[in-house]
Amino acid sequence: MKHSRRVSSLLILSCITALALAAGPPAGDVGPTYAIRNCRIVPVAGPAVEKGTIIIRDGLIEALGPVDKVRVPDDAEVVEAEGLIAYPGLVSAFSNLFLEQPARPEGQTAPFEVEAQVQPAAGEDRFPPGPGLLVLDQLKPKKAALESFHKAGFTTVLVAPTRGIFQGQSVLLNLNGEPLGPMVLRNGAALHINFTTERGGYPSSLMGTIAHIRQSFIDAEYYAARQAQYAKGPAGLKRPEYDPRLEALVPFVRDRKPVVFQCNNLEDIKRALKIVGEFKLNALLAGANEAWRVADVLKKTPIPLLVSLDFRPPATSMYMTQGEELRKKAEAEIYPANAAALAKEGIAFALVSAANADGGAILRNVRTAIKAGLPKDVALRALTIQPARYLGLDRELGSLEPGKIANVVLVKGEIFDDNAQVAKAFVDGVLFKYAEVSK
Amino acid sequence: MRKPALPCLLGLCLLTAAALPAFADRGDLLIKNGTILTVTKGVIAKGDVLVIGGIIKQIGENIAAPAGVRVVDAAGRFVLPGIIDSHTHIALAGTNEGSEAITPEADVGTVINADDTSILTALSGGVTMVHTMHGSANPIGGPNVVLKTKWGRPSEELVVREALPTLKFALGENVKQSGRTVQPGQTQRYPATRMGANAIIRREFQKARNYMEQWDRYNKAAAAKNPPKNLVPPRQDLRLEVLAELLRGNMVARCHSYQATETLEFMELAKEFGFKIACFEHIWEGYKIADELAAAKIGISVFADSWAYKMEAAEGIAYDAGYCAKRGVLVSINSDSGERIRRLFNDAAKTMKYGGLSEEEALKLITINPAIQLGVDRIVGSLEVGKQGDIAIFNEHPMSAYTRCDMTIIEGDVYFDRDLVLKEREEAAKKAAAPRGEGGVS
Repeated sequence: MKHSRRVSSLLILSCITALALAAGPPAGDVGPTYAIRNCRIVPVAGPAVEKGTIIIRDGLIEALGPVDKVRVPDDAEVVEAEGLIAYPGLVSAFSNLFLEQPARPEGQTAPFEVEAQVQPAAGEDRFPPGPGLLVLDQLKPKKAALESFHKAGFTTVLVAPTRGIFQGQSVLLNLNGEPLGPMVLRNGAALHINFTTERGGYPSSLMGTIAHIRQSFIDAEYYAARQAQYAKGPAGLKRPEYDPRLEALVPFVRDRKPVVFQCNNLEDIKRALKIVGEFKLNALLAGANEAWRVADVLKKTPIPLLVSLDFRPPATSMYMTQGEELRKKAEAEIYPANAAALAKEGIAFALVSAANADGGAILRNVRTAIKAGLPKDVALRALTIQPARYLGLDRELGSLEPGKIANVVLVKGEIFDDNAQVAKAFVDGVLFKYAEVSK
Repeated sequence: MRKPALPCLLGLCLLTAAALPAFADRGDLLIKNGTILTVTKGVIAKGDVLVIGGIIKQIGENIAAPAGVRVVDAAGRFVLPGIIDSHTHIALAGTNEGSEAITPEADVGTVINADDTSILTALSGGVTMVHTMHGSANPIGGPNVVLKTKWGRPSEELVVREALPTLKFALGENVKQSGRTVQPGQTQRYPATRMGANAIIRREFQKARNYMEQWDRYNKAAAAKNPPKNLVPPRQDLRLEVLAELLRGNMVARCHSYQATETLEFMELAKEFGFKIACFEHIWEGYKIADELAAAKIGISVFADSWAYKMEAAEGIAYDAGYCAKRGVLVSINSDSGERIRRLFNDAAKTMKYGGLSEEEALKLITINPAIQLGVDRIVGSLEVGKQGDIAIFNEHPMSAYTRCDMTIIEGDVYFDRDLVLKEREEAAKKAAAPRGEGGVS
């Protein structure tokens, strides 16, 4: 008992040291305790505070409330925020931020089938490593990309891999600086699957892909069962052969680790739901810009939706096959109205930046969705607490509450207004200054 | 349920092509005063067809319209069962899993694309049902699916679940790909010959038999009073499971086949492994083995023309369909295409010139015959009381060269109405031509 307590206090100590080292304020800033004063606070978790104070200490929110109720600690650096509105940092539960290889824009995903007439040579791996790939290993953080997201209000992102059918596993990042390590909230956050084809091999068609996804999950279940049977009583049993691909799939098919299906059109949503049902996966659907077309199905079978703020219709969408006029209409009117239609039907969703790398463009698209009828408060929840819930992060972020991670953005104007400007962003309590605010 | 505004918006975009069905009809419709070509029960010169709740309730003369039922005047026009296409590839997101030779796990039923405008094209030619198939790139392709051409309805509502489950096979040039240029770094896919195609199919059936035996052994052992310790089940294999379904008789084969020899060899394979062939596809040399096909009760689904369009079709003749039909083979005319599908009636009529079929016999090739091939003759394929109200109305006899489809009805709902489409097209053109600010398109 005594021993374990010592270990845990040691752990805490090392955590604090780590935090101090990693999340330490950039040069020039004063200290780790801040008092943001005189701002309007929109905590998302509760009613707005017209004139309030937020205390940030050691990367966490210590307190918040009306100015006359929250005492400013002696050691706090005061951040005067009169005229600004404090929001929880926005969360994009699906992005391609920091990916070295530019993500293939959604509008150019693989066609239904490719000409492929080759067979892999004997002994060659039939499938690429897919499920075991960790996208974290491919990330190259860039200051400009980070700032672009901060200026759009984003402090937390899930970065998803982009290639293949079993694309690999995503990482959750809190955008607190440029070194990658301290940013990581969770590695291997979810397994990502896309209804595309493998280049130059099997499967080369969508129907082949669906069979391949199902067979892979069947094989992973079989693999796990064989391993478990062997572990229980190896005597008289042939040792099951190690398979890295299936091994990587096991936590997703056995232990309900989250699986994200990229759904580029209405049929993809139904295809994903079938597979999710068959293997009882803990799944989220990304893209989903045609979700309004299956509103009845989604009401009957609720599933987390990561609705894309990239409104370009993908290659496999019907809006790409019926002329330029319809394509333009889809991008300008039909896809932006998706979120509003879902909200009207009472279907929950998060909004995600998807392949979009430009923060300004992402916010512009949020405004477009709002103009198409999405209520502002629903939009805000869809970019804060809703994605936090979907990612299992709602105890530590997604709203402004004491004890949560200090992800706070101070905005001049309402965050989704045309002229809104992010003046300051706190991420893990690290202060980033972006615009001088004239009173 | 309340409909969101968006589908209407979407509907508008597509309306330039055709009207969405008037679902207010709810499957109730009375067609009056047409020449009724029932296909199986003769012709009524001036008759009515009443459909209630999607089912044909009455066929005869002077049927009174029940209250609230829409009446379609068919005076001077021809009323026939909805046309059925026994072999096409429309309404799919992809047709071939060409990467490997054997892909029965690749099921076209998983990639239905209800947004394919070929469905509209089909409707404009009176087609109400299609057998939409895996392509012919593989000796063993995948399962096919039967759909109704219910444009505007969700994909799952198109599927005809009463139809026989079918599995696509293919022989000949498409499979052996001997004419294909192999790119550097690629290997020629096996098989490259007709004998190879036969061999690989046999090999795969052997595998399927072994697979079935493995499972039988396992199930028996697992069901025993004292199952052996450390009993390991076989791996579930989606590919072999589909073949096992065929061997168990729960599916039937549909085989793309051009030449007589390879066709007979495939029939031998079927005998050897005990599976059922429902139909040979295209079968240009069917006339050479008409008696064998008739004796084996195997149907054929063929083109009306295009004979000799490629080497392996060199001995194809215009009389194939007509001759085989006269020898007692169950023949259907197929489109294999999202375009020819709108004029299957013209193609069927060609058998009157080439093969000497009567109007009645020719019409069967695109109605009751394909219905039998698909195992749905109980519910469609002719106009009979109790069958589903899938109906086409033509301005002239459908086997006339001057005919055209005016209206296509599925289960009593109007899915295509030529007058409506023309009116909408006119309005759209007017709108497009109007100057800006006066409702014109900018």
